[in-house]
Amino acid sequence: METTHDVPIWRRPPPEDTELSHQLEHERRQHLLLDPRYPLDIDGGVLKPMYRHTWRFWLVTALLAGLVLLFGAIWTTQMILGLGITGLNRPVMWALYIVNFVYFIGIGHAGTFISAALRVLKIEWRRPISRAAETLTVFALIAAAMFPVVHVGRAWKAYWLLPIPTQREIWPSYHSPLIWDFTAIFTYLTCSILFAYIGLLPDLAMARDHTIGWRHRLYEVLALGWRGTEREWANQETALNVFSYAIIPVMFSVHTIVSWDFAMAVQPGWHSTVFGPYFVIGALFSGAGAVIMALVLIRKAMHLEYFLRDEHFDGMGKFLLLLSLTWAYFYFNDYLVPWYGQEPVEKVLHQLLATGSAAPLWFLMIFCNVVLPWTTLWSRRVRTSIPAIFTISVLIQVGMYLERYIIIPVTLGRNEFPYSWGVYLPNWPESLITVGAFALIGLLYVLFSRIFPMIPVWEVYEGQVLQGLRRIGRALVPTKAEPGD
Amino acid sequence: MPELPERKWTMVVNLDTCTGCNACVVACHAENNVPIVSEEEVVRGRAMHWIRIERYWEGEWPDVKARYIPVMCQQCERAPCEPVCPVYATLHSQRENLNLQVYNRCVGTRYCQNNDPYKVRFFNFFDPNFEGLLKEQLNPDVTVRSAGVMEKCTFCVQRIRRSEEQALVADRPLRDGEVVPACVQACPTSALVFGDLKDPESEATRLVRGNQRKFRLLEELGAEPQVYYLQSGHSAVNE
Amino acid sequence: MTAQRISRRDFLRISAAGAALSVLTGCQNPRRWVTLEPFVSPPEQQLAGVPTWYASTCRQCPAGCGIVARIMNGRAVKIEGNPAHPLNRGKLCARGQAGLQVLYNPDRLQGPVRQEGRGSRQFQPLSWDDALLSLVSKLQAAGDKVVFWLGSTISGHLYDLFQRFASAINAPDPLVFDLYTAFNGYPTLIQANQGQLPAYELGQADVVFSFGADFLGAWLSSTRYGIEFGEFRNQSLGKRGYLVQFEPRMSATGAKADRWLPLRPGAEGLVAQAIARLIADQGAGPTDRVERARALAADVDVGSIAEASGISAEELGRLAQIFAQYDRPLAIPGVPLAGKDQAAGIIAAVQVLNLIAGVAGQPGGQELPPAAPGLLLKRPAISSMERVRQVIDQMAGGQVGALVVYGANPAYELPDQAGFAGALAKVPFVVSSTPIIDETAVLADLILPDRTYLESWGYTVVTPGFGEMIVSSQQPVVGPVFDNRSLADVLLAVSREIPLAAGGLPWADEVAFLKESLGQLAGSEDPERFQADFQQHGGWWQKTAPALEAPETSPEKARPLSPINFLGDEQEYPYYLHLFMPTLLSDGRGASQPWLQGSPDTNTTISWQTWVEISPVTAKRLGVKQGDIVRVTSPAGELEAPVYLYPALRPDTIAIPLGQGHTDFGRYAQNRGSNPIHLLDVEAGGAGWVTPRVRITPTGKRAALATFENQVGVTEGFINEAFPGR
Repeated sequence: METTHDVPIWRRPPPEDTELSHQLEHERRQHLLLDPRYPLDIDGGVLKPMYRHTWRFWLVTALLAGLVLLFGAIWTTQMILGLGITGLNRPVMWALYIVNFVYFIGIGHAGTFISAALRVLKIEWRRPISRAAETLTVFALIAAAMFPVVHVGRAWKAYWLLPIPTQREIWPSYHSPLIWDFTAIFTYLTCSILFAYIGLLPDLAMARDHTIGWRHRLYEVLALGWRGTEREWANQETALNVFSYAIIPVMFSVHTIVSWDFAMAVQPGWHSTVFGPYFVIGALFSGAGAVIMALVLIRKAMHLEYFLRDEHFDGMGKFLLLLSLTWAYFYFNDYLVPWYGQEPVEKVLHQLLATGSAAPLWFLMIFCNVVLPWTTLWSRRVRTSIPAIFTISVLIQVGMYLERYIIIPVTLGRNEFPYSWGVYLPNWPESLITVGAFALIGLLYVLFSRIFPMIPVWEVYEGQVLQGLRRIGRALVPTKAEPGD
Repeated sequence: MPELPERKWTMVVNLDTCTGCNACVVACHAENNVPIVSEEEVVRGRAMHWIRIERYWEGEWPDVKARYIPVMCQQCERAPCEPVCPVYATLHSQRENLNLQVYNRCVGTRYCQNNDPYKVRFFNFFDPNFEGLLKEQLNPDVTVRSAGVMEKCTFCVQRIRRSEEQALVADRPLRDGEVVPACVQACPTSALVFGDLKDPESEATRLVRGNQRKFRLLEELGAEPQVYYLQSGHSAVNE
Repeated sequence: MTAQRISRRDFLRISAAGAALSVLTGCQNPRRWVTLEPFVSPPEQQLAGVPTWYASTCRQCPAGCGIVARIMNGRAVKIEGNPAHPLNRGKLCARGQAGLQVLYNPDRLQGPVRQEGRGSRQFQPLSWDDALLSLVSKLQAAGDKVVFWLGSTISGHLYDLFQRFASAINAPDPLVFDLYTAFNGYPTLIQANQGQLPAYELGQADVVFSFGADFLGAWLSSTRYGIEFGEFRNQSLGKRGYLVQFEPRMSATGAKADRWLPLRPGAEGLVAQAIARLIADQGAGPTDRVERARALAADVDVGSIAEASGISAEELGRLAQIFAQYDRPLAIPGVPLAGKDQAAGIIAAVQVLNLIAGVAGQPGGQELPPAAPGLLLKRPAISSMERVRQVIDQMAGGQVGALVVYGANPAYELPDQAGFAGALAKVPFVVSSTPIIDETAVLADLILPDRTYLESWGYTVVTPGFGEMIVSSQQPVVGPVFDNRSLADVLLAVSREIPLAAGGLPWADEVAFLKESLGQLAGSEDPERFQADFQQHGGWWQKTAPALEAPETSPEKARPLSPINFLGDEQEYPYYLHLFMPTLLSDGRGASQPWLQGSPDTNTTISWQTWVEISPVTAKRLGVKQGDIVRVTSPAGELEAPVYLYPALRPDTIAIPLGQGHTDFGRYAQNRGSNPIHLLDVEAGGAGWVTPRVRITPTGKRAALATFENQVGVTEGFINEAFPGR
């Protein structure tokens, strides 16, 4: 097919050859970037759903807001009465709150990975999903950062963990992994917000130019006067590139440090050197699953079928399978060495998981995290089936939540002194707070989706401009131009 | 303040004479204002006793034996609970080799309890409830801990301080046996002995030095606990 | 009485001044450079932040340990053993330390109350004047038909006053009965030892055979026996005593024993007789012992005793050899409940072993205390069960006009079968002096709360004093918390209004009486000075030549014991019942004190609850698990409680602790657990109550046991999870 580069792609006439025409149709259906539309249509496709406030939207918002208020009420009660209202007990001092913390930090990993790592690797299909993923990262991190505060005995004193000069004249102790944790998460959250915001700028400007009223004024402020000059685009490109490279090690460090909260302790079952990479992979695994769930939900709720296609779920599905394999590898590592060592308490823990009271949890986790992905995700049909991939992602969340649950309260119940063993059962306050935290992420996500474009329009547009099809012999081959080089 | 000498406070527990009578437990509750938790809370695994008598069954009927091991904070030289505290609520006194707990610094991350292999730290899940007149029994030398704060055996640091001050006022060195934690004071069989290992003449040093019966709990962890246990001995009677 | 009266405040002042000078309790001012002087020094000479120590006597059990109370700003904050006191040498058991919670119990009565309708629990406060008027009129109406029912922890001077009051109005001598002494077999031990409680000095013994005596638990003086045990294990030249314990359920003492022999309940006396027989037959050991054994040992068949007791004949032979061979053997007779109907025989059988060993009446053996010094010093004479039954019969027969209960709680401590509650209903007037409403107070008309022992005066003649004559002093360590009057003052005030009594009790108040009584001890010393010393140091004591006379040898000792009677048919009630007194709650008087309720029982680590101990073997057979609630039924009664699997218990026996099951007695005790005493029956004509057999029925319900140890970890965990094959 002859292409003339000065003619915009959407103005080009369809090829006369029917075979080529079919192939072109096929490619367009498959790939967003090969299915270009008028920029105004694309803008509209992103902006219009933001105005849709059906009764469903209000119902969901009200429900989520109610759960968030419940969260607040229970937390207040907990601060007044004490942590005794939860199911915590003497050996199991860390339980659901820390499970949530680790889980939500894990969710927070996928957004950056997809956005930054795929950007660095120039994987093009990532373009429409990066916003949804980055947003999930930020909100999950906010939820996660709340949990250490919910968790501590005297939440009103939690600011003592911050390295700020006060009249107390005591700096936090940098011996404590908790302070490393705080540092890493704070860095990561800051980077993630900036990264998401820089990517959001051109879209805010686009929204500003298409709206009136309060939205216009809001976007006007937030767009920071973006006009789309050459220089602005170049600066944005540079900034995003720098962030993409810088944020990847930060991301790896965050969950490694989270794992050190456990690995640095003398608690049997925690004291493991493989915890760092194992936790990072686990985080990506659950995070990727969460991104798929988010994509499915916004695609359905905001009618983004044009932007989010089979190719994205296919790609994410492959990614998920790969992560499942890697996760299983590390999990095996984490088990084999202690098993070979036959340390008494480690042995007790293995027995507890294999045949003891924690066996149902353990086998359900193995099913969700290993058996299910391995038996299904190799099939393209499963990967591109929205209900199937959604179900699998939900079950992976269950599996990964259980994994953290097994590592924290179940493991803490066993130690060197059988006299001081314990069994933890979640009580209703921390269970409802957990539900409230999920609701908080949902609520923030729902509200965000009505105020900010959920699809990075400029990225899609850029991709569509750069991506093309070239005819070689009887076949159409996707081609891509490199910007800026 | 004049310079106070270096110390290495240690407790020697003679398992041969510990009868599990709980005198130490109640003495500790009285001295340190340790709250008694209700039955429901005990069931939920939240009982608080800074010193406890662990009872282990050995053997099968009819050759059953019960062993008592009093376990209190081991005041480790390299305590695993200390570095993990983000706010210096638990920290080491180098001079005295004590594992201090500063209640009003504690925010209740409970990390120290996770990293405490001996599980001798206790968390205040609720505010302590000293009903009615029972408030009158509280020892004014020791803070009453609020909900959300971790606490543990301090080797009765308030008694150590008082005795050191007394010695300082009298301008004399602290005598062996002058500092007596409440549990040691109460123990009818004198199974508990407290003293300074830096003092070569102290009763504790005498008991520990070269004693074949001595051992420490979980010594392999390298926490260097400062509580020495003496195993049961043997009688001349042939069994 | 010519000496100038010393008021309570003066006494405190003297004591405080003395204590400040004394080094005995380490009470110098430690912070001279920062002494804070309040504007108005409180009457007790307290300085803020500076503790003062007062010596007194513990009244949590009848042993009479010396205590010192640490007073900060007028509040008692700690009780410790009095280091100068020869009985407990500065040590103190858990119960003694918990005395603060008697003083500061939130459920204490704040003044006298009257109950309209017994059992209604509607208590109306009234003034002391009205209360005393009412008491006087009722006592006058009762004439000589007044019964004084006292507890064994009563101060000597108060017992003295009661006795004088009773004899002045021609009433019978006061009855002294509480569960602590009755269950621990005081009456029988006293009977077997010429009216004295013996001391068993383990300190230098080579070998100790304990026949069910839980002397490290709640038997006689747990503190003193703890001290003795410490010495027994750490004797000079590295010698370590060897302890053999015979009992069906492992007590704390059994846990510390080198050899624990689970014998059939009630077979203690048989085993002692078999050992004596074997010493005679085997002829091992020094000749004098063998000769004495031949003279004293009963003609018993060792083989059948081996069968009856569950201890093999070889084992018995080995034990006999050990007992005969070593220099200083000692046998201690516990009074296990199962032996109650033959308690005297069992004690005699054990005593024979000490006679054979030649340690009876010897220092460092079984020792009898010398007679109490001073004519006026009294110690309560523990009444026998027969006397108790007589009194109950009199009450039921309407022959008692008024009942005065002090320091005892018979409504809780006696089995239902004894019929106390029914008999009480026939008594027109019942007055109790308990500081906390207990089960007996609920059945009383008038409650005149006494001051607690930490607010009161008194003395105790300590018996046994383990080789010393001890009179332990009691003084108020703090001012009275409430407007409660000391019962001694109440008695004296009442006696002034009753013409018959007025002559017998001429003293103005309690302190005057006490001073006169104690004046006997002063000898040539200035009485004022003696009193001050007496209060300051916590008592008066002197080393005495121990009573050397051996316990009497009666022909009874050579007579073989017959098997123990158990109540209930063996088929219908297949298990022996073994009740025991837990170290902390003891006979139930500890139940009002949260420190004792909330501290874990040593062997089960259970707090706050009643549990039923069942051997894992039996539990498997019955199909019950830990925490299952079972119904324990005896011919006399039944109770329901959760099961604790107790590995060191005979499979044919179940064990239940005393102490819980209060229906009253303050918020910490009330409606908690069950009182197993109601499973017992009082046998007509016997020495005490008889032990029943019981049967166990699972109820299908479960309860969470309040154990401090983790049940998964200790009872199942390591065994089942780490080593599933075992």
